[in-house]
Amino acid sequence: MKYTSRVAAFAMLLLASLVTPPVQAQEPVTIGLVVPLSPPGDPTAGQLIRRGAELALDYYNGKGGVLGGRKLQLSVQDSQGRPEGGVAAYRRVVGEDKAVAVTGFFHSSVNIAANEVAKSIGVPTIGTQTSAADITAKHYEIAFRTHLIDPLRVAAWLEFMQKKGFKRVSMLAETSDYGIGLVTETDRQIKEKKLPIELQSLTFDRTSTDLTPQLLQVKAFRPDLLVNVGVGAPMDLMIEQAATLAITPQVPMLVSYDAPIRPQFWQLHPNTGDKLYFIAYYSPKQTLSEIGTWFTKAYEEKYKESPVYSSLNGFGDVAIIAQAVEQAKGADPKAIIQTLETGKFAFWSSGEVTFPKADGVFWHNFSPPVLILQFQKPGQDWKEAEVMFESGK
Amino acid sequence: MFSFELFTQALLAGIVIGVIYALMALGITFIYSIVKMINWAMGEFYMLGSYAQYLIVAYWLGPDLWYIAAILSAATVFFAGWLIEPILIKPMFTGGIERRDDYATVVTIALLLLLRNLATAISGPYQRTPGTNLPGVMLGPLPESGARFAAFLAALAAIALFTLLLKRTWLGLALRATSQSRVGAQTSGVDVLSLDKLAFGIGVGLAGLAGALLAPVFMVYPTNGVVTTTKGFEIIVIGGLGSVPGALVAGVALGIAESLGATFIASAYQNAYGFVLLLLVLALRPSGLFGERLRQA
Amino acid sequence: MSGIAPILEARRLSKRFGGFLANDAIDLSVEAGEIRGIIGPNGAGKSTLVNLITGVHQPSAGDVLLAGESLVGRKPHEIARKGLVRSFQVSRVFGNLSVIENLLASHLADARMRETHGQGFAKATRLLELTGLIRLADAPAKTLSGGQRVLLQAAAGFMMPSLTCYLLDEPFAGVNPVIKDQLIALIEEESRARGVTFVIVSHEMAVMRRLCRKITVLIEGRVVVEGSLDDVAARADVVAAYLGKSLV
Ligand SMILES: Nc1ncnc2c1ncn2[C@@H]1O[C@H](COP(=O)(O)OP(=O)(O)OP(=O)(O)O)[C@@H](O)[C@H]1O
Ligand SMILES: [Mg+2]
Repeated sequence: MKYTSRVAAFAMLLLASLVTPPVQAQEPVTIGLVVPLSPPGDPTAGQLIRRGAELALDYYNGKGGVLGGRKLQLSVQDSQGRPEGGVAAYRRVVGEDKAVAVTGFFHSSVNIAANEVAKSIGVPTIGTQTSAADITAKHYEIAFRTHLIDPLRVAAWLEFMQKKGFKRVSMLAETSDYGIGLVTETDRQIKEKKLPIELQSLTFDRTSTDLTPQLLQVKAFRPDLLVNVGVGAPMDLMIEQAATLAITPQVPMLVSYDAPIRPQFWQLHPNTGDKLYFIAYYSPKQTLSEIGTWFTKAYEEKYKESPVYSSLNGFGDVAIIAQAVEQAKGADPKAIIQTLETGKFAFWSSGEVTFPKADGVFWHNFSPPVLILQFQKPGQDWKEAEVMFESGK
Repeated sequence: MFSFELFTQALLAGIVIGVIYALMALGITFIYSIVKMINWAMGEFYMLGSYAQYLIVAYWLGPDLWYIAAILSAATVFFAGWLIEPILIKPMFTGGIERRDDYATVVTIALLLLLRNLATAISGPYQRTPGTNLPGVMLGPLPESGARFAAFLAALAAIALFTLLLKRTWLGLALRATSQSRVGAQTSGVDVLSLDKLAFGIGVGLAGLAGALLAPVFMVYPTNGVVTTTKGFEIIVIGGLGSVPGALVAGVALGIAESLGATFIASAYQNAYGFVLLLLVLALRPSGLFGERLRQA
Repeated sequence: MSGIAPILEARRLSKRFGGFLANDAIDLSVEAGEIRGIIGPNGAGKSTLVNLITGVHQPSAGDVLLAGESLVGRKPHEIARKGLVRSFQVSRVFGNLSVIENLLASHLADARMRETHGQGFAKATRLLELTGLIRLADAPAKTLSGGQRVLLQAAAGFMMPSLTCYLLDEPFAGVNPVIKDQLIALIEEESRARGVTFVIVSHEMAVMRRLCRKITVLIEGRVVVEGSLDDVAARADVVAAYLGKSLV
């Protein structure tokens, strides 16, 4: 009787040692991921960012985790693309799951709202694909970002116009923060840099489906380049309607973001997408960092397609947090903020990432390089599109 | 930047889009006149029509048979409405519901959300297009896409056919009688409740037809019906609730006002010119251009 | 005439609006071919009775029988198609329809009748001639005078192909003498030629005396007496209900 119970106790101990981790300090480090996974947010973007973030976990956990053996884990919450949804999601990952930093933000309004709460809670945020100035321009201690901001996007296309010798430029922009912001910034930089560009700027309501009245004015202006500053459906409608009115292809069009890399692009524009210029944040023809190269390979293996910018940045931001935890030698959010401000981090793109306390919108901000690509023939894979311009080169 | 060419172009573009707007509005006004309810989910039936057109053209008939696809798509939406009406709308008259307007509003807004989220869940948020092989045309100085011009002609034809149905058939007479007095029609022997089903189906079928015709022009995605609903309501207020000629005249007026306003005043307010027109009409004729001042007994 | 089964019968028919009993256990029996008058002071429940019989309102209790068949729970259009037709006190002509379309609307209601378009058209034309509305045949009904509308509405009931019993709710109110005579002629003609049964609610005692051999008096939702106009007018309670005014 005594013997058997002793054996049983021993067996229990053995079992217990198998399930509980051997050392107390090995509890995982949690990173918050606030992404849009349902409407009115953009669920596609949310999924793509999440894919990248998950692979960053694979990368670091595959190497044994951080801080000498602690695994990384994600706490994913749906922001629904709404500010209130984003605030609730931020509170949940920080409050319930004890995230040490939060990233994944795609909608600017969500990022801005979350930062207002983060400011008092003290757990840092990194904007993954949010471009509004306010995210970093408010100079909050907790606010970081790794996305292209308007002034750099505008500087890039103005440099491109100069290179191409475009003198008359029409900009057709939606009346959102994004569209109006870009028009204002373009106008400002043309004046500031005294560029020889005559700018015709026209705006349209995001809910408009018929841009014929605006495009008729573009046609009458006879520009050298038409900049398409629509997002989503209006961007696609403008491509079609400009072709209908015989503006394109005589007048080339530049799309203000990387929408043409989406898989359905050629299905929507079989006859009108050729020779289109578009802003992109990544091209396989670009040189990548070591972890960036690992990532594209891992992504292609897992998803049987090439990664896009959303996934790359989702990966890069989680990688930065992992490195910051490592460099801070602890998972305390305050220490992580300190490290983010002073440290140097590897990202998917070549070169090192830093978050200096710079002026204005450049505060705590890192912008990946901007590219302008051009399709060379109808139906061309975006990965084959010619790199016509790369910022900083 | 005024030029005569630009003016003519903008005017023609306004007329073309205006007739298309009229087709979008027709269903709303028709359903209201029979069933006495505002269908807030009208745009979602437009959306269903556009998806039906996409599926039929892309996976079955191909873009050359777009007109057959459009008829099939409209018929599909008609049946969807015909099936939905007895479940959602009919209780308004038979379920002892006291606040019918509130009931109709709640039910159709719930339907709107359901259909939109269903479309997002099934097809994703991406835009799609059935594609088109129709060559572009020149309307005087205005280059116009073949698909949009075809939609314009088909919309005119549909409005004409619909008018003939109302004016020249027994069914049309019963519908017109019911729009005047539901109780009067009932005691004349008209089965108003089954007419409701038919009217709801025809009304949403018209929106579905617009969606099908415009699928290659304005694309196919879960929220593409928003325009139908907003323009539709502007048009029925301008034209007069329940009036078919009102919808046509107001649609064209709205199209022209938006086109000229956006071209010559300020393009950002393209969607506001309709409201200006609407306020103007309301100030001068509160019941709309073709509306009845008071319902005739 | 006793022994003949009644064409239209109400049994203990009641209607409650909230706490108010508008019809209180009404028994009514109308024989085929009869022209029955219903009189009673304002608010007595006459229109309510017509609404209950024709399915516009559902009774709180009681039964309605047409040729022995219960109508309770039937929809108004089914009742109309069975040949039990009504007019409204506040005329419900279809204002935007033309005068002739107003008549055709009743004819086409039953899908089977649509085959007989020509018949319907001929009948409508005959009715318009009878009522003197023929030259207004294509005018929108809303352009008619009040009296003409009442006449049109009454005429529309005759278009129902299966018409056997016609309930007219105050068809003579506010109608000029010429139109009144046309209407009376129409009723007499249809009664004689087709044997249509009529139930006429009216305050026009002279007309009632001419048309109806039997009058039912309704007061406060109850049938108080039935008989010839002179008989019922002699009753003290009827006179009292009409506030002492002489009925005749
Ligand atoms: N839908 C209703 N809801 C509530 N009360 C009603 C309704 N219809 C009628 N009543 C009430 O029932 C009573 C009888 O009304 P009814 O219209 O049947 O009278 P009537 O005899 O036809 O009067 P009149 O000679 O004025 O036409 C009235 O007191 C009226 O207010
Ligand atoms: Mg009455």
